[in-house]
Amino acid sequence: MTTTVGRSVTRIDGRDKVTGAAVFGVDLAVAGMLHGAVVRSPHPHARIVSIDPAAAAAAPGVEVIVTGADFPYLFGSATRDQPFLAIDRVRYVGEPVVAIAARTEAEAQEAADLVVVEYEELPAVCDMRDALAEDAPLVHPDMHTYVKGAHVIVPHTNINTLWTFERGDVEAGFAGADLIVEDEFTAHALSHAALEPHVSIAAYDPVNRAYTLWLPTDRPFQVRGELTAALGIPSDKVRLIVTSVGGSFGGKNTLISEAISVALARFAGGRPVRVEFTRQEDLTATSTRVPAIMKLRTGVTRDGSITARSAEALWDSGAYTSNTVGVAIRGSSTIFGPYRTPHLSLVVRQVYTNRATTGSYRGYGTTQVTWACESQMDMIAAALGLDPLAFRLRNGYEEGDPYINEQIMHGVGLRESLERTAAEIGWGEVDRAPAPHLRRGKGIATMLKPTATPTSSNAVIKVEEDGRVTVLVAAPEIGAGQSTVLAQIAADAIGVPIEAVVVPGTDTAYTPYNGPVASSRTTFHVGNAIVMAGAEIREKILAAAADILDRDAGRLDLVDGRIVEDGVPIKPLSELFGGLAYGDGYSITAEARYSSKGSPLLKAAAPYEWMSSIFWMFATHAAEIEVDIETGAVRVVKVAAAGDVGRAINPMACEQQIEGGVVMGISNALFEEFKGSGGRIDNGSFADYKLAALPDIPEIVAIIVESQHAEAPFGAKGIGEPAAAATPPAIANALFDAVGIRILDLPITPEKVLRAIAEKASAEGAG
Amino acid sequence: MKRLREFSYHEPESLEAAIGILAAGGDGARLLAGGTDLVVDMKTGRMRPSIVVNLKRIPGLSGIEAVEGGIRIGALTPVATLQASPLVGQMAAALADAAAVLATPPVRGLATIGGNIGRASPASDLGPPLIVHEAIATIEGPDGSREETVESLYVGPGATTLAVHDIITSIFVPTPAAGFGSAHLKIGARAGGTDIAMVGVSAGVTLGADGRIAAARIVLASVAPTPLRAIAAEQALAGREPSEEAVAAAAAAAAAACRPISDLRASASHRVALAGVLTARVLRSAIARAREASR
Amino acid sequence: MRLTATVNGRARTFEVEARSTLLEVIRESLLLTGAKEACGVGECGNCMVLLDGEPTPSCLVLAPDAEGREIVTVEGLAPEGALDEVQAAFLEAGAFQCGFCTPGMVITAGALLRDQPNAAAGEIKQALAGVLCRCGSYTKVMKAMEKLAGRGA
Repeated sequence: MTTTVGRSVTRIDGRDKVTGAAVFGVDLAVAGMLHGAVVRSPHPHARIVSIDPAAAAAAPGVEVIVTGADFPYLFGSATRDQPFLAIDRVRYVGEPVVAIAARTEAEAQEAADLVVVEYEELPAVCDMRDALAEDAPLVHPDMHTYVKGAHVIVPHTNINTLWTFERGDVEAGFAGADLIVEDEFTAHALSHAALEPHVSIAAYDPVNRAYTLWLPTDRPFQVRGELTAALGIPSDKVRLIVTSVGGSFGGKNTLISEAISVALARFAGGRPVRVEFTRQEDLTATSTRVPAIMKLRTGVTRDGSITARSAEALWDSGAYTSNTVGVAIRGSSTIFGPYRTPHLSLVVRQVYTNRATTGSYRGYGTTQVTWACESQMDMIAAALGLDPLAFRLRNGYEEGDPYINEQIMHGVGLRESLERTAAEIGWGEVDRAPAPHLRRGKGIATMLKPTATPTSSNAVIKVEEDGRVTVLVAAPEIGAGQSTVLAQIAADAIGVPIEAVVVPGTDTAYTPYNGPVASSRTTFHVGNAIVMAGAEIREKILAAAADILDRDAGRLDLVDGRIVEDGVPIKPLSELFGGLAYGDGYSITAEARYSSKGSPLLKAAAPYEWMSSIFWMFATHAAEIEVDIETGAVRVVKVAAAGDVGRAINPMACEQQIEGGVVMGISNALFEEFKGSGGRIDNGSFADYKLAALPDIPEIVAIIVESQHAEAPFGAKGIGEPAAAATPPAIANALFDAVGIRILDLPITPEKVLRAIAEKASAEGAG
Repeated sequence: MKRLREFSYHEPESLEAAIGILAAGGDGARLLAGGTDLVVDMKTGRMRPSIVVNLKRIPGLSGIEAVEGGIRIGALTPVATLQASPLVGQMAAALADAAAVLATPPVRGLATIGGNIGRASPASDLGPPLIVHEAIATIEGPDGSREETVESLYVGPGATTLAVHDIITSIFVPTPAAGFGSAHLKIGARAGGTDIAMVGVSAGVTLGADGRIAAARIVLASVAPTPLRAIAAEQALAGREPSEEAVAAAAAAAAAACRPISDLRASASHRVALAGVLTARVLRSAIARAREASR
Repeated sequence: MRLTATVNGRARTFEVEARSTLLEVIRESLLLTGAKEACGVGECGNCMVLLDGEPTPSCLVLAPDAEGREIVTVEGLAPEGALDEVQAAFLEAGAFQCGFCTPGMVITAGALLRDQPNAAAGEIKQALAGVLCRCGSYTKVMKAMEKLAGRGA
């Protein structure tokens, strides 16, 4: 029996991608569409005194002009705090104030320059520490009046999220320590920098008062939900048709260009409106990783056992909360890393600032906390004179260990991931100085990542009359190979070759509900729904075959697309329905829902079961780097990267995620940084917001760890989200190994490295 | 995507016609050569020309040829052509080095030597090696043709001595003296060496028959409003043995001469640090090449 | 103004504005959407096309500069339904993820291998340095390229 699970089958979306035939959001044109442009705030915080659109309205080609007063709705998944277009005040540089639709994009952009907006500047708070000050300007004085979820806010301050957590007796834990180490780490804002910019086309049907959107997104149902909640309309009034997604990384899941296209479409008399952000807009005024400042205090015994850890994490949501509440809470909860920690405490605060909105970014907060945790693990090891790998292995979770909420963890591939990456990188052997001005070192870092829990997925499977199998799931192909992996699962669950399976793009009008394509949850959750529906459809096919072929259903089987009787193929599925009389036919469909809710695997100490994860992912990266001690330049020589995926449905696709994660981690650690002051971002171009390119890429060895998972489809967990987090601390730890310096605030720039080398030399000279 | 604003577009087929359009157009007119700077500046709004004069239909402005006393490089010669030219490699090694790290290969296919000079970026990759090689620009204007050293053209960031109706038509690079070697190095944000320079350094060294340094020229990018001649560093080398001590003295003098700003790409102090390091490294390469040439 | 050029082997004449970039013309007039704009300033290479055979960032070229020239886009590399050697190798190696940069990567890679069929790893990295991939498909791109250059499996 041919199976596809476990094989590196060619990606089913690949042909369209290498030929340029794939239709991304930017590639789509809808008949009669207008083109949008946005007038944006030049101030971080100001009152809008007046808006004069007269000159723009008279400009050639202009059809629609919309302001916040025209479309006065608020949206937001955690707190409904964000206007489609600024209402009365602007809260960050680049906030949309006026939207214009014209016959051409050039006309819209030219007209946007003609809008006159008068502002009265207000005191701004552009730094998250300043936002905590008692007399800090309030970004949202009315925060307490907003519709919001269950999270705690502090009214009349800038604190939009407050969460504390404590287990054990942290002071007793510290009292039992031989060494207490306390450090502060900073993780910076990063652009998702998906190469496809934010884009959407929205149309408003005035007859049915319903919107249709064509867009690249990884969370169709979240976007629909935010829109219907904001506008107070039922779900049937919003339809989303998802294109190929030119990269998301957590960035394309809320109303961004969509806020503009929807507002314009509402007044465009039925004509669709296309809004594509320029790269400058995309970099400076959409969303970024949530920057964080993390204080970490850790107690250890002399022989290297962690006795207690306390953490304080401060997060900067920017002007609106967007997806940041979950990032701050869920992300912070993993700051203790994959280590047994008997006593711990955590205080999480997130503040509004007058900066561009931040949000979810690949890793959902774990890239930030992993930077802190894994940097400090090495600092502790150094202070104790222990090997950093041995220190991690000593404290790391093993199969069956309780997590910090006492959930029993299963499928723990941590040790294997540490041991295999260390072996691959040649742990403990370094050619220290390959040239007089070069130094080399090796570092290792690891992390754990939960998946959003509990969440659910639905699948509808249809068998067409020619035997083709259509799998309807709302799991947009964002580039990570979702469609291929799900097709492989369907093929094996049903008993057909993968070539017979098609996974159409998402259209909320007919694809069933799914949680987000995020949190590395797709393979597991959607896969489980497909396995369940696949089993049912298989039975229905065999029943139909028994009926059509007049056989005993109990003796039939479906193997590799063929109906088999007692092991002998008797009819290909593709021909099963072919001989029926005109007008006669079968409708073979099955649907299933998988939810992790209520799984016995989630049991934990009350009331913290919500911190349980239906599966846990582990990733370890080991890096060898080379430092030019005269210029401060860091070159990554090699990275060995292991991901515990449970079971690789498609090993090649897993390698893609691991390799791509390392590339992103290198880019995040060494090159990417927003520059500017006073809430203004000055490097809104790839000329000065630098992404890693091919010459920066070292040898990357992807290691797939398969710990298996009992409740998973074929044992598979997830891979995409944890793939990038461990690289930056692995580089920082290698930097320490190479030259004995420690950078606590990302990114690791040549300038910081050179300064630290000089400071170390002068300290040693003085000492 | 960002759209360009309207402008009046011209494709003159002779220099005279081009100069006429420029002279009539005044300050709103801009020359289009490779477009890698102008088109970008128009998209970002840094420039809003009312008139764009595309030079590429004018015959004879592109190509590299050996002429008496040196080589002549047409102003529209793409940087990729410089990089690949054996003549340039032979006669002006620093220029070939610089061409090989100016942006990415496809951009080098568009960007031109004349455009690079005319743009007068403080971070120019080609300015320093051309100055090291004592290159001379031929300039065509309403009053005919004239010659100026490339060094004398630079006035400030984005500013040259050229009037709006002046067109650089070619660059003459003289044959170096016997015993001459040159090299160029730069450091950008990433490993590929294709980024805008945080610092760039070109150096040329002439070794005398006695093996001592007869003359040196050192020019730095991204450390001053224009490409910076480090005269004190040159003097620190003149007459000395090409030793590590001499190199270190020149490097220190070059760093001391820098007047950088802090910007998006680097702080002033980091630039000064890099200037010293790069000057030393590029001098070692230039000396090695000079020794080759002396053999 | 009128522009005449050869596009993917066919002579084409169409109306353009002088201020249009070649990329705008290709995507919006010729409806060939393989070439993408990701940066607009020549940094990302996602808009790469062959102009008289050379990989060229089409976002930096004004449409009139394409007059009389030969343009090849990703759509013109192989006949409908077929793949050229580079595309086939990229598909097999999984040298793409979201696929947005892939047309630019494939165009640039093909031109390199035409000129240097056995390009060394360092030459490949330099030649492709101007094509950004945020998904980080670089390792698999190198795998495909090594094979195309006659090395590796």
